Amino acid sequence: MSNAVRVKLQGISKHFGTVQALKPMDLDVEPGELVALLGPSGCGKTTTLRIIAGFESPDTGNVLIGAKDVTDSPPNKRAIGMVFQNYSLFPHMNVAENVAFGLKMGGVDRDDRTRRVRDMLELVRLGKFEDRQIHQLSGGQQQRVALARALVTNPTILLLDEPLGALDKNLRERMQFELREIQRRLGITSLLVTHDQEEALTMSDRIAVMSEGQILQIGTPTEVYERPRTRFVSEFLGTSNILSATVRGEVRSGIWAVGFDFDPQAQGLVAMPGPVATGAQIQLAIRPEQMRIAEPADGSLRAQVQDVVFRGSYYAYEMAVSGSDSPMFLYSHARLAIPADRQVSLSWSPESAIRLSDLT
Amino acid sequence: MKNDAMPAALVKRRAKRDPAALGLGIYVVLFMTFLLLPIIAVVVVSFSASTFISFPIQEFSLRWYERIFEYKPFMNSLLVSLQIAVASAFFGVLMGVPAALAVARSHSAWAAAVANVLLAPISIPAIVLGFSLLYFLSALAFGISFLSLLITHTVVAIPYIGRTALAVYRAFPPDHEEAAAILGASRWQTLRHVTLPMIRPGIFAGALFAFLISLDNLPVSFFFGTANTNTLPVVMLSYMQNQFDPSIAAMSAVQMLIAVAMLLVVDAVYGIERIMTAV
Amino acid sequence: MNRERVGPEAAATPRKSWRYRLANMSWAIPALVFLLVFFVAPLIGNIVRSTTEGAAVTSGASIYYQKLLFDSYYSGVLLQTFKVSLITTIACLVIGYPISYFMVRYAGRWNTLIVFCLIAPLLTSIIMRTFGWNVIFARRGLMNVWLMGAGLISRPLDTLNQPIAVYVGLVHVLVPFMVLSITSVLQGIDIGLEESARVLGASRLRAFLSVTLPLSVDGIATGCILVFVLTNGSFLTMLLLGGGKVTTLALLIYQQFSVTQDIGFAAAMGNVLLVFALLCLALQARFVRRGGIKT
Repeated sequence: MSNAVRVKLQGISKHFGTVQALKPMDLDVEPGELVALLGPSGCGKTTTLRIIAGFESPDTGNVLIGAKDVTDSPPNKRAIGMVFQNYSLFPHMNVAENVAFGLKMGGVDRDDRTRRVRDMLELVRLGKFEDRQIHQLSGGQQQRVALARALVTNPTILLLDEPLGALDKNLRERMQFELREIQRRLGITSLLVTHDQEEALTMSDRIAVMSEGQILQIGTPTEVYERPRTRFVSEFLGTSNILSATVRGEVRSGIWAVGFDFDPQAQGLVAMPGPVATGAQIQLAIRPEQMRIAEPADGSLRAQVQDVVFRGSYYAYEMAVSGSDSPMFLYSHARLAIPADRQVSLSWSPESAIRLSDLT
Repeated sequence: MKNDAMPAALVKRRAKRDPAALGLGIYVVLFMTFLLLPIIAVVVVSFSASTFISFPIQEFSLRWYERIFEYKPFMNSLLVSLQIAVASAFFGVLMGVPAALAVARSHSAWAAAVANVLLAPISIPAIVLGFSLLYFLSALAFGISFLSLLITHTVVAIPYIGRTALAVYRAFPPDHEEAAAILGASRWQTLRHVTLPMIRPGIFAGALFAFLISLDNLPVSFFFGTANTNTLPVVMLSYMQNQFDPSIAAMSAVQMLIAVAMLLVVDAVYGIERIMTAV
Repeated sequence: MNRERVGPEAAATPRKSWRYRLANMSWAIPALVFLLVFFVAPLIGNIVRSTTEGAAVTSGASIYYQKLLFDSYYSGVLLQTFKVSLITTIACLVIGYPISYFMVRYAGRWNTLIVFCLIAPLLTSIIMRTFGWNVIFARRGLMNVWLMGAGLISRPLDTLNQPIAVYVGLVHVLVPFMVLSITSVLQGIDIGLEESARVLGASRLRAFLSVTLPLSVDGIATGCILVFVLTNGSFLTMLLLGGGKVTTLALLIYQQFSVTQDIGFAAAMGNVLLVFALLCLALQARFVRRGGIKT
């Protein structure tokens, strides 16, 4: 699809009764891009999708698909493809009739319809399934019919509302790749709503992390994962060790030394853009897989292994840090040879410690 | 070995050997007999040759069945009843279903008020309804006519059908309509291709129920009695009060057969299980 | 980027709020108009009639109501109506609850048969059912013939045209409504709750009384109100099985119309009946949390 369109949300807000579901927000989706709206339930991601689809009207703002302002158009005039959370396949029609529905509503004649349905079912690898009844299909097959139905009408954009939630883990992972492949091949601008961070990381070009009606951060999966802006983002995507620290001073250009209240002799290094006031209280996030262990040395954080759990592809170490009540976590692919009562020092590369903003 | 964490199937089997369940079971059998006894008694009496009700039945005959076909008021009123029942169910669907659809998904105060008006006639004693409508319609110059009777029965049909339609439509996931819309269907197309086909069995069940209620509705029709607006229950009542013989039994049996036939037709078209779950 | 101030035009246009729904309120207009004209208006007309017809013209608007409430005969009828409805309701509850309990806890595959037996009578006319009790209770009806044949009685019982026949007839017609109301609530009660009580040492009866029964109160209340209102409005059973010994308000209306033709009075009686029904509905709306069961 060489004529992919841009989706723009300008100043969209929405409240239901006394609840502010969406605070005024902007979103710009590039043509051909897949943006994931990621967040916990109640964060407003589904509301955003429904406003784009046309099932709800925004209190303020505009929705633009391509150059067209569709804010006042009803959903059946927006030329959008959508895959619903429970697929929403029509139970009284078979697979072919379901997929052909959009074409039929659009006035496409029968022969054309049959041909296009067949081609689309081939694309989603359900070529021989035309006459099957919906209840005869497995979850994964239903999902693919739903996708075929959404795409067969050549929509301008594709909306996906938690499309893989009902599938079991293995199937879900496979479908993540398949869906992404089809989206890429067609080059159709897409929005994905999900609460599963792995899904967002796997499938999207950019992730918009949402909480309580606003977008906290939007960026590529790598950006959002490795450089989270707020505590919420760092904890929603993967796990983070969160530390409160006091800035002691700049050690080298861009590298700052920080101290910790619970262990005054310890010092850590953080790469931060300056200037930062000496004595400023900051919050740091460090991923468990970035933590390192060394022989105990002065000036470093001391810890002892409290517990170790094998998680299949890595070992998760729970470390009791001297002076602090909260444990820190360390992930390692290899098993570390640390005796139970031995003190070690914890360290990390300055770049892997992220300073979090004060908000959320 | 016996602990309360047993799976359901085992719990049931243990229950069958237990006296409380046995006692309850006997009670239920007696109860079912109680429910069916009068019906069976009537059917039996309809075949009795004697004019008086006395058991044991000495002689069997079909004379009462012949009688009801000969007695003009029975057949005429049966025809009237059937026409009224079908017509009122039809208008009930025509008006009640769109109203139920309108009200079902809305949370506004208006919707609640309309729903209350829609469902209210069921809760009003039928005799009050019949009486009020008689005088109202006479004052409006509709008089005592087939039309007046039809209007009255439709007032009763609308809430029965509306209530079923409401329940069925509410159980129907709104996603389907949204999916249809996003695929380009207008409201009318969605209604025609998605919503109606899916709630049709439920509406049919409601219409069937309204049909049967109308057929048996005496209090409402009682006030509209003339030669061509008498319904069957009204005629049967006056027969019972004036002539009292087993013709009543035969006519009742025939009426029951009609109802059973309707049920069988519905079963053939939609399947009884689908209807039962809808009602 | 996401918290930039929005362009002034975009923020300043608060829009009309809508939501996509298939049907809008205008679809309800035909039914609404029809019912307002042919249901609400006649009932209002009834109220008007009761205060402006017949004796009300000469003796004052509320004369009929005064008669109903204060005349010993008529207030007696009101009391009897209440009494009959109450007794029928209690009887239906006592008889019907165990049936519901059995259906939900034990029946399994017999459930369909029981439901069929409950609903089948609705396929027959009420005249047929009432006539059936006539056949059973008659001098030489089924009951007397069996009892005499079994040697239990020597002379036929005079049950017909007695209050007991009326109660039996009413219960027969109305107990299915009670059973269906209670069953639908009982089905929602987790059997695990009763079993937990048993595990904690309660006897079966105790577990039922302290766990299941209180949780089924909604169904009981709905069933009772339903049966009460339906009994209030019945007159056929009293007419055909009571022999004049059981006179309720509905029966009185019937008689007023066929015999005396006192329209104003009949209208007033109708209104009193109506008020009873509305009171019961208000009670239901207030106290039954689930707001009614579909029966």
